[in-house]
Amino acid sequence: MNKFMMGLTVTAGLLSSVAHAEDAEANAFREAFLGGEASWEDVSARAESEGTVNLYYWGGSDPINIWMDQVVATDLAKLGVTLNPVRITGTKDAIDLVLAEMGSGKGLGEGSVDAIWLNGENFATLKRQDALFGAFADKMPNSDFIEWNAEDPRSLLNLRDFGVETGNAEVPWSGEQYVCAANTARVDRADLPSTFAELKAYLEANPGKFTYVKPPHYIGNTFVQAAIYAHNPDGTGAEPFQQSIDDLGAEEMARLITPGLEYLKSIEPLLLGGQSGNARYPEDNGALDGMFLNGEVDMACKFGLYAVATGLNNGTYPEGAEAFVFPEGNMIKNKNYLAIPANAPNPAAALVMANYMTSVEAQVSKLKYTGMPPGVDPWKLSEAEVTALTEASPGLIGVSQADLDANTAPDTNATLVDVIEATWLEYIERDSADDLSVIVSRAVDNLAK
Amino acid sequence: MTQPNTTELARHRRERMMMWLQLTPVLLVLSVLFGGALILAVMQSLGFAPWFGVNTFPDFSYFGALWGSWSFWQSLGLTLYYAIVSTVIALVMGIFLALAMVRMFPCKTLYKYLYKLPLMIPYTVGIALAVIMLGNGGMISRLSAFFGFIGDPSEFPQILKTHYGWGVIAVYVWKQTPFVTLTIYAVLLGVGRETEEAASILGASKRQIFFQVTMPQILPGIVSSTLIIFAFNIGAFEAPFILGGGFPDTLPVVAWRYFNDADYTLQLQGMATVVSIALIASIILYSYLAFYRRYERRIGRN
Repeated sequence: MNKFMMGLTVTAGLLSSVAHAEDAEANAFREAFLGGEASWEDVSARAESEGTVNLYYWGGSDPINIWMDQVVATDLAKLGVTLNPVRITGTKDAIDLVLAEMGSGKGLGEGSVDAIWLNGENFATLKRQDALFGAFADKMPNSDFIEWNAEDPRSLLNLRDFGVETGNAEVPWSGEQYVCAANTARVDRADLPSTFAELKAYLEANPGKFTYVKPPHYIGNTFVQAAIYAHNPDGTGAEPFQQSIDDLGAEEMARLITPGLEYLKSIEPLLLGGQSGNARYPEDNGALDGMFLNGEVDMACKFGLYAVATGLNNGTYPEGAEAFVFPEGNMIKNKNYLAIPANAPNPAAALVMANYMTSVEAQVSKLKYTGMPPGVDPWKLSEAEVTALTEASPGLIGVSQADLDANTAPDTNATLVDVIEATWLEYIERDSADDLSVIVSRAVDNLAK
Repeated sequence: MTQPNTTELARHRRERMMMWLQLTPVLLVLSVLFGGALILAVMQSLGFAPWFGVNTFPDFSYFGALWGSWSFWQSLGLTLYYAIVSTVIALVMGIFLALAMVRMFPCKTLYKYLYKLPLMIPYTVGIALAVIMLGNGGMISRLSAFFGFIGDPSEFPQILKTHYGWGVIAVYVWKQTPFVTLTIYAVLLGVGRETEEAASILGASKRQIFFQVTMPQILPGIVSSTLIIFAFNIGAFEAPFILGGGFPDTLPVVAWRYFNDADYTLQLQGMATVVSIALIASIILYSYLAFYRRYERRIGRN
């Protein structure tokens, strides 16, 4: 449907030879705010006159939707802003809309998307297309809760999103880690794999009891990335994958990812449905959760520090589900963000909302309602605020925070993710007979077009 | 030779105006919404997408890459397989049902409403029903596990998400049989039973009656209903996406995957896929119709 709308918008844009008059007032506001001349009172006042904020976000989680409707909408109403939550099935839909509207000449104050919950490739796309409002993230009152000092290594995830510099055009909203859960009613804790080799051994003994989400879904990509890190022929793990593809080069890339992809190909016949020659990869985390709940698979991996506690709470995880450390040393951690597009119709209201979302109050209620870990940095908070966050947390089941911290790995550079994704699709899904180096260089060429 | 008087001419003109006025709304919708989208799709598939920073119009490389890959033909085969098999099954069941409906039997009024039920239920609901009932975590598999026929729900034989497409076909047939029945039933009511009775009195067997009397009479109904459901089946997305067996996907799903990729240049490849579907579907439907028209002319019907 959105494609259709997009087609229409584009057609309308092409047909109307009349150039749109830019919303001069909105642009003046943008200049003043980014230039540090507008006070937060000015922003609030303008936000109230704008009245509404259109937040586009993935609407596939009931707890998040409930939290948005019951908590966020109420709190924003107190600030004079009406929240219009637009639930989409894929974040890319919002990106498409922004780009289509920009293509048809709609600038700041004229589009329909005020803010998007996103990270990774979607942010990289907006940045590449120059479709972002600007460096707002460190200029809000609640920006103090986030580490912006580039010299502090802990600021990495605030300044880089999948290795792409954020330029403060998006504000961290939640921090996640890739965690696997097992159904201990079916698997003994002692038998749980902690390395990829052990996973393969487990699958040889119990064929079909595992699968991962299908790339190009980011949850699937992350599993592939973890496998690639663990099989890095140099033993340097995630390190080389922080560079962009231009710096790394196709040849080196192919050399580094070959063992990981060969491993994934070798376990394909052992995955769910692989015995009949047709391995089944779920389309998204909802489908994976279903397989896990039904006992079709014994283990499921996704982004979700508190996924087990939340899943047990709302019945989407089987009783006996527990998190475990897998793969050792390569549990990928990242953050997700709120970005304001360059053609936001209500930029001030978007800023007020982003500031609210970064408040400790909102972070605590988000954690309590949805189990989404905080995006603010605990060392920037007061002791009472840290305690409030700890108390709101649904808790870890099966692993300790120390385990998780000890096995953290950074995400892959967004430009490499595109290549990895294309390579997986060709090498594993389409079962291409070509050499991996050929496939990788072809993917790199295609993406460079 | 008498000249037509001016009032008559004016009336004639008014009538023509009226006719165009009646045609305009539909014509506008078709030419702007449908025609515009079609033109844009064809242009995009030929490399015109300046809003993504791509403009190599006209560029046939997207079609070349698509048609040159083996997986496209696999997908096409799969698309045609789902479309043809479900159309044929729905047609056969629909004919039987329609022939039964013209006879008298108890509770006929109730049955007449009952068989139309799937017509009113959306496809997505049908798909959801298939997942709930037939899936490996579905009702039937859970009940079998509960009663101890199988160890756990995952051991249930896989019906959905295979390339045999039983799930896809089941949903299409479930939804389309009533449609075929409705069309053929209407035709049957229109032609009446007299010719069949006459054939029967003249000593024709049931087989002969069906193939030589009934069949030619209901043929227009058969052609129009299968035309519509086949056109739907070849372009439908939800059922093969949710119930299909993964790679190779049907063509609409392939197109969706291209669109949904984070890499924008792949959207042009997606457009090429969409245009290919439209092309193939129209070739098939047009030849089907042309074939039927020729048959009509041969038997002396216009």
